Amino acid sequence: MESGIRVLLLTAALALLATLSGCASVRHWFHRSPPASVSGDSSQDQAPPRVVEPEVARRKITVPKIRSRNFELGLDYGVLSIEDFGAHPSYGVTAAYHITEDFFFQAELGRTRAGQTSFEQLSNVQLLTESERRFTYYDLSLGYNFLPGEAFIGRGVAMTSAFYLLGGIGGTDFGGDTKFTVNFGAGYRVVPADWLALHVTVQDHVFQSSLLGTTKLTNNLEARIGTTVYF
Amino acid sequence: MTPRARQWALAGLLWVAALLTPVLGSAREYLQLFVAEPYLQLHTGPGRGYPVFHVVPRAESVDVLFRRTDWFKVRTEHGVEGWASQADMQKTLLADGTPFHFDVGDRAGFTSHRYEMGIFAGAYGGASLVSAYGSFSFNPQLALEGALGRFFGRFSNGYSGDIGLTHVFAPESRWSPFLTLGLGEVHTEPKATLVQATNRTESTAYVGGGVRYYFTRRFFLRAEYKAHYVFTKRNQNEEADEWKAGFAFFF
Repeated sequence: MESGIRVLLLTAALALLATLSGCASVRHWFHRSPPASVSGDSSQDQAPPRVVEPEVARRKITVPKIRSRNFELGLDYGVLSIEDFGAHPSYGVTAAYHITEDFFFQAELGRTRAGQTSFEQLSNVQLLTESERRFTYYDLSLGYNFLPGEAFIGRGVAMTSAFYLLGGIGGTDFGGDTKFTVNFGAGYRVVPADWLALHVTVQDHVFQSSLLGTTKLTNNLEARIGTTVYF
Repeated sequence: MTPRARQWALAGLLWVAALLTPVLGSAREYLQLFVAEPYLQLHTGPGRGYPVFHVVPRAESVDVLFRRTDWFKVRTEHGVEGWASQADMQKTLLADGTPFHFDVGDRAGFTSHRYEMGIFAGAYGGASLVSAYGSFSFNPQLALEGALGRFFGRFSNGYSGDIGLTHVFAPESRWSPFLTLGLGEVHTEPKATLVQATNRTESTAYVGGGVRYYFTRRFFLRAEYKAHYVFTKRNQNEEADEWKAGFAFFF
C-alpha cells in the first residue's frame, strides 16, 4: 500500500517536471545547447550583407555639474550690551544655509566680556571672577528675507540687498552658569559680488538671570557688522 | 605679541585668503542650455522680488554659472549675467534637445533626498533642550543621523551627542513615521550648589521613534522621542527621556 502511494507521488512529480519545461526557471533542464556546426558553409545561413552601413557617430554629451552656492560663512564684530554689566565689543562667527529664496537657517557663536555693574563700581566689591565675566552665546536661528532691493553706488554699480528677520533659540554661558536663550533680531544684507555679502545685524538675546539677587528676564542687545562668503 | 594675539592674526590672514580664493578660482566648464520658450527672463537677483532686466530669445543659449536656492545665475551669449527662476529653467533644453532635469525641492524630494538638517527645542531628562541634527540618506528608508544637543536644567547643564540609524516607514507619504537606534555621549555639569558637583561624561545608547510631516518646498516638521540609557560609573545605570520637536529641511 505504502509503495503504491510512493509510485503515485513519483508519477505526479515527473508529470509536473514535464509540464514545467515551459517555466523560465527550469527551461534549461531539458534544452541542451545545439552542437556547434562543424561544416564550413555556415555563411549561407547568415543574413545578406547590408547595402548601406549606418555609421552614425553618437555625440556623447557630458553635462557639467551645476555648483550650488547656498552656504554662507563669515566673521562679525560689534557691540553687545549685557544688562546691568555695560556695553562692550563683541566678535563672532556666523554660518548660514539658504534653503529657499525666503528662508535661511543660521548658526551663530559670539563672545564678549562683561564690565562692572554700578553696584560694583560704587562699593568696590567684585560679584564675578574674571572668567565668569566672559559672555559666550550660541544660537540656532531661522531667517526670513523680505524687502528685496538694490543698492546703487554711482551710475555703474548695483548690488542686490535684502532685509531679514531672525528668530531662534540657543544658550548663553555667563556668570558661571549656562542659560537657555531666545534670540530675535533683524538685519540688512548687501551682496557686492556673487561670493561676498556684507551684513548689519541687530539682535536681542533674552534669558533669565538671577545674578543680582532676583530672577529676571534680561535683554542683551547686540549690534554688529559682518562679512560672509558664499560657497 | 602674545600667543593669543598671534592666533587671532593667523585666523585673520586665513580669512583674507578665504575671501580671495573665489576671485583667483580658475575658469571652469559651464552647462549650456538652450531657450525653448519664446524667451527666458533674467532677474537682477535671486528672488521673485528682483525686477526682470533682460530677456534671452528662443534658440539662444545661456551658460549656467551656479545655483542659489531655486535660482540659477546664467550668462548669455552676449555676456549678460542674470538670474533665472527654477520654473523657467525647467523649460530649457540641453544641447542634444532633451529637456533639462534637475533636483527641485518638492514632495518627490521629500521622499528621496541625500541630506537633511534641522533644529529642535524640547526636553532632555526634565531639562530644556536645544538641539540640531544632520542626516545622510542611503536610500529613502535608511539614513545615518547625528545630533548635538545642549540642555539647561535646574540642577545641571550639559551637552549630548549621538549618532545612529533611522528607518523611515512610508517615506512617500506626507506623514511618515520613523524608528531610530544609536549610541551617544552625554556630558553633565552639575551646578556648584550641589554636593556631588563633579562634571562627568558618560556613554549612552538610545532607541526612539517619531514622525515627520512634509510642510512645503524643502521644509518638513519633525517630532521625536528617544529613550536614552546612560551607562554610569555608579552602581546603577540611568534612563533619560528626550522629547523634541522642530523643523528641518532636505537638500
